Amino acid sequence: MKLLSPEGQPLPLALRGATRPLKLDGLRIGLLDNTKAPVDKMMAHLEQRIAERVPGATTFYISKKHPSMAAEPEVFEALRTNADVVINALGD
Amino acid sequence: MLLISTPFVALARSQSRILGMPALPVAVLPHPIAGTPIETVIAKLDAAFDEIVARLASPLADESASAGRSVEQGAWLDIAAADEWTDLQQAFVDRGWSDGLPFVPPTEQRVAAMQRHAGMPPDRVLGAVPPKMGAATLEKIAANAVMAGCRPEHLPIVLAAVDAMLAPAFNLYGLQTTTHCVAPLLVVNGPLAGALKVHAGNNLFGPGPWANGVIGRAIRLVLLNLGGGKPGEIDKATMGHPGKYTFCIAENEAVSPWPGLRADRGFGAEVSTVTVIGAEAPHNINDHESTTARGVLKMITGTMAQTGQNNVYYAGEPLLILCPEHAATVASEGLSKDDVKRILYEEARVPLHCFSAENIERRMLRKFPERYKDRPLDTPVTIAQCWEDMMVIVAGGPGKHSMYVPTFGGTRSVTRAVLHSDGRPWLASELGA
Repeated sequence: MKLLSPEGQPLPLALRGATRPLKLDGLRIGLLDNTKAPVDKMMAHLEQRIAERVPGATTFYISKKHPSMAAEPEVFEALRTNADVVINALGD
Repeated sequence: MLLISTPFVALARSQSRILGMPALPVAVLPHPIAGTPIETVIAKLDAAFDEIVARLASPLADESASAGRSVEQGAWLDIAAADEWTDLQQAFVDRGWSDGLPFVPPTEQRVAAMQRHAGMPPDRVLGAVPPKMGAATLEKIAANAVMAGCRPEHLPIVLAAVDAMLAPAFNLYGLQTTTHCVAPLLVVNGPLAGALKVHAGNNLFGPGPWANGVIGRAIRLVLLNLGGGKPGEIDKATMGHPGKYTFCIAENEAVSPWPGLRADRGFGAEVSTVTVIGAEAPHNINDHESTTARGVLKMITGTMAQTGQNNVYYAGEPLLILCPEHAATVASEGLSKDDVKRILYEEARVPLHCFSAENIERRMLRKFPERYKDRPLDTPVTIAQCWEDMMVIVAGGPGKHSMYVPTFGGTRSVTRAVLHSDGRPWLASELGA
């Protein structure tokens, strides 16, 4: 039986990843809080542990406004300016 | 790097791949995280800490495979099936293309017939349906409409609804992946609603032999097959609700004492519209006794003032569906729709002491410190950010039951006119109705 697949193929994306850093020394680590509990406390703990265990790395904490919506453009811009890599919380 | 709990691994992997970074590192913590004592969460985080740090500055494997796939139109399949109601049904289930109910097979003839009113080429793309970002071509939307049981004259409404859902303000990405139960509720207004039998009277949420069921189901199949919203894998709803099978009504403009939703949104009398609303399941409001506007609205605001709804946490648009008899009682005292919205906003409020201490700390004080910090526990919490955000429509049949529909919060309702591809409004007479 000849049928049309109802499935849609993903549209092409023009995204390109940033160059991946390969050393921890001097690394600027962004911490993006998705506002779900208790991510702020988790990120604060990560900041503390990174300061203790990863000398030479620094952290930059920022929060978006809504857990179910994309981070605002100013949040992306701040991360682009202040971080080489980002840890982003997803889900519950 | 993504920091997630176990149930979200498939979603994280899927999104990394679709967004062009298939090798994005993922650190997985044992579920649950939310609603867990912070000491337990910190222990989980500490157990994963060395892996998190190690992967922050390590090369990504397979980065060259990160480009998105190109659009492949058509994809006609030749499926060996003895008949349409056994093997073929199972074949679609096995491919993840089914909502679990029997469907009409999208044969070449049926898909072509479905497009006959569309007035645009089959490969016309309305946009990308998140989170899978599947191309919403006319032909693929038509195939899903066939599966749902739509007739060709229903397709313009389905197309307008898909276009509305793809508006950034609707935040379909969030709707499709959240643990909340939200589903797009379609509200159809205007001449096409009556002509195409999109029901606005008794039992409008179902069941009934009208177009509501098949149009709403077509939207769900689009979300599944173009958007990739597979329950459990990508659609992470903890519960879902029955409206995730189909969720489409019309406003009962003929009996409403006020202009309808399409007029609220600036559309004229000749135009039919579809409004998509990110909505919970409706909740009944039984009031057989009140004989005054004040009485009816007191019962309604009492029902709307609930603690667990997203509308107390986020900027949503709570929806009141007034039954015609309640609407008549309210309007008989000269209240306009805006008057009703103001009363709902002022009176449907929840005292702070009704929330748990954790929610006061984690939600109210964190999100709205200017409203609740150092305030007494009888401080009222609103269910909308302003009175204009309250939505009111009139629908249903005889009886004294209105309905409250809380919304998702991280979404705005979007209204689209049902138009030809050249921008003219569809007329009922053109659709053979």
